[in-house]
Amino acid sequence: MGATPRTAAAKGVPFVSSPVLAAKLPAWRSRLVLFLIFVAFVTLAGRALWLQGMSTDFLQKQGAARYARTLELPAIRGKITDRNGQVLASSLPVKAVWAIPDDVQEAPKEKLAELAKLLNMSRAELNKKLDSDRNFVYLKRQVEMDTVDKILKLKIPGIETRKEYKRFYPEGEVMAHVVGFTNIEDAGQEGMELSAQKTLAGVTGSRRVIKDRLGHIVEDIEAVREPHDGKDLTLSIDSKIQYIAYTQLKAAVEKNKAKAGGIIVVDARTGEVLALANLPSYNPNDRSDLTGVQLRNRVLTDTFEPGSTLKPFTVALALDTKRVTPSTVFQTSPGQMTIGTATIHDSHAHGPLTVAQIIEKSSNIGTAKIALEMPAEEMWEMFTSVGFGQPPKFGFPGAVAGRVRPYKSWRPIEQATMSYGHGISVSLIQLAHAYTIFARNGDLIPLSFQKVTDLPIGQRVISQKTAQQMRAMLESVVSPEGTAPQAQVPGYRVGGKTGTAYKIVGGKYVKKYVASFIGIAPMSDPRLIVAVMLDEPNAGQHYGGVVAGPVFANVVASALRSMDVAPDSSVTNIIIPKDAVEESM
Amino acid sequence: MSGRICAVLAAVLVLCALALVNSQYQHRQLFIELERAQSQARQLDIDWAQLQLDQSTLGKHGRIETIARRDLHMVPVTPERTQYLTMGAK
Repeated sequence: MGATPRTAAAKGVPFVSSPVLAAKLPAWRSRLVLFLIFVAFVTLAGRALWLQGMSTDFLQKQGAARYARTLELPAIRGKITDRNGQVLASSLPVKAVWAIPDDVQEAPKEKLAELAKLLNMSRAELNKKLDSDRNFVYLKRQVEMDTVDKILKLKIPGIETRKEYKRFYPEGEVMAHVVGFTNIEDAGQEGMELSAQKTLAGVTGSRRVIKDRLGHIVEDIEAVREPHDGKDLTLSIDSKIQYIAYTQLKAAVEKNKAKAGGIIVVDARTGEVLALANLPSYNPNDRSDLTGVQLRNRVLTDTFEPGSTLKPFTVALALDTKRVTPSTVFQTSPGQMTIGTATIHDSHAHGPLTVAQIIEKSSNIGTAKIALEMPAEEMWEMFTSVGFGQPPKFGFPGAVAGRVRPYKSWRPIEQATMSYGHGISVSLIQLAHAYTIFARNGDLIPLSFQKVTDLPIGQRVISQKTAQQMRAMLESVVSPEGTAPQAQVPGYRVGGKTGTAYKIVGGKYVKKYVASFIGIAPMSDPRLIVAVMLDEPNAGQHYGGVVAGPVFANVVASALRSMDVAPDSSVTNIIIPKDAVEESM
Repeated sequence: MSGRICAVLAAVLVLCALALVNSQYQHRQLFIELERAQSQARQLDIDWAQLQLDQSTLGKHGRIETIARRDLHMVPVTPERTQYLTMGAK
């Protein structure tokens, strides 16, 4: 090579003298090619600009939709346990079975029949659900896992599942009114499930991830929003005492053919509610035929005229203000007394009674005479300070205030009847709460449905001396001379007060009764306050001592033993006189 | 001279790239393992809740009482049949 570098080697003709170059082509052809190439580049550049600049968001979104997924991280609702950690309500994962109707219709008939069987419904029902224009139909919710596995094994196209939680209540109807229940969306509807909804319900979390072709999670794209499970709730309820209270109340309601009943057991030291039961009750696990009557939490939401169970407050006020002593004598003969235009009665003419005997025999006239020595304002203050007529603060939904009319409108006859519990309405829990002043040494402590760790500080209502005197009087009520010898408990000294009151229907008293008993045990060092109420006992007996007294006795006997409280009385044989004193109404 | 630097840098670059691939791979393996462990933890939680519930259901006082009375023929204690002992008493 060398001297003539630009020479086509094969032919030996120099490039510049190549005959191809000699051919003269029109100049526009090369210009056209150049122009077309230019246009092609502009098009490419424009397209690139369009993709990169203008539609980035759209494209990135489409990309993400193909690999990124947002997963919901469900939070589990907190458990509810009793004071000893026994589970009263707990959530377990179940699945909702849903279908895309169009796809399912194509499945073979025998598979659909099997599906209907697994879902516990007839073919017709299933077909009715599938006969829909929508793309999403719930076939059944809260299906348990074993069943779901079987359904998925059928491999019917268009059948899908979704994770959800179901609440289980192992104690069933025994605990129904305290614990309450949740709806299908896991939100509290009644009882503690409702009042503690905020703490029980957790916060759902979420995470955004990249998934590969096989559906494995490859990595997190964003920071995970952790789910926060609901907090567990420890109630003050002792499930053992609750069971005792429920079964005893149930037995009494059946024996006395009562329409309804309620019982509450309170720890006198801490103010904790150890048991609360109502009848009729319901099974929270199966609420298909639930009625309002069963749902009613009578202990908290029903007010009634308490009758004689209110007498101790009138007497305590008189003792506390030193107007009387336990041995002051009042004449209750001849068993009736006219105030203004109205006349009040005792069940028997008792003759002269001391203040202590007025409580023991439950004399209306005696109580009225004591009340009429006091100004209405002081009585009103007494009732109000123990919580009657006050908006309740028990941390429980649906609790009612009851009614105590303002003292300025009291006429003497009203003041007299109110002193023995008529013309005033309270709930059973308010009565039990108010009796803490007698069970403790004169101070009132708040009630709690949750376990208490620090002892509450009481608010003094009556002096310690008055409380002690009242306890002695309440103990005499269950003596053979009192109105409730049936409430005696073998081995323990107890005390309490009976109540029997007419019911008011449509503003008038009718011949239907509410029998109640509120008692304290053991008397040497009170631990429990038990209030029992039976609505319309219909088996011949309607006095509080006869109807509600035995419930109190049985519950106290079993409850004190389960709490390991040593007996404070050596009396193990109980004498119940044949004709106990009938209380006045 | 500059050719040699280029060669060394190229080798380092390749090594770095391979290390990156490797670490990414390991990251994914570990991530899958973590996922598996977490789902196992969740499952164990659920099992625990289920067992607690079973315990409550089986330990229901009503059930215990029925079995004690009917199958084991037990009767409730009463104070008459109870011997109370006092600590320190003679």
